Amino acid sequence: MAEPDAEAPPGVPEARAAEDPPSAPTPNPKNNAPFAALLAWLIPGAGHFYLGRRGRAVLFLILILTAVVVGVALQGKLWRIAPGQPLSVLGTLGCAGLGLPYLVLRFVLGYEGNIIAQGYEYGAAFLVTGGLMNLLLVLDAWDIARGIKE
Amino acid sequence: MSHFLLMVLYSLLVSVFFAVLWRRDRRGQVVLFLQLFLGMVLGGLALAWLMYPFPSGPPTPLT
Repeated sequence: MAEPDAEAPPGVPEARAAEDPPSAPTPNPKNNAPFAALLAWLIPGAGHFYLGRRGRAVLFLILILTAVVVGVALQGKLWRIAPGQPLSVLGTLGCAGLGLPYLVLRFVLGYEGNIIAQGYEYGAAFLVTGGLMNLLLVLDAWDIARGIKE
Repeated sequence: MSHFLLMVLYSLLVSVFFAVLWRRDRRGQVVLFLQLFLGMVLGGLALAWLMYPFPSGPPTPLT
């Protein structure tokens, strides 16, 4: 049985706080993890904004929107599922990770890229990378909301 | 836009993203950014240079 610390009388909040590990993240009960993840997917950076990481949220939004704008400017391919091409499912999942930008590009603007454009493949790389980065943000927002990460 | 500039822009976006996502302290972010950015750009240049002896054939004309 551990001896109580003579310099830290029991019942004193400061003394208890000093005994806690300094870098142990705890979940905030106000944070709704599924909502944060959904928000993070829908609008890049919004999950982090909801969780109070506002500086990082703005930076993530700028980075992912830059990837989207460059990808579209290059007329890159926006993946969609093609029959008989199983790998197109992975490409589509990667692009769909963009959330709202993907939905707007595909279903509102009818964008799909220009196969004879010089930047078709480069643009596709930017679009898929933007989607994959946003999927990582979804996982990060989930972990922060659950107290797994700081 | 040239291939090289696109590669630099791509490396920049990805490096900043992972540096901010994976590191919390400023010094760690700068170190990881430099590692990723220089690794991608210099690695890409090294690969391109190593592939130089291999013939690529005439460029395909765009219609």
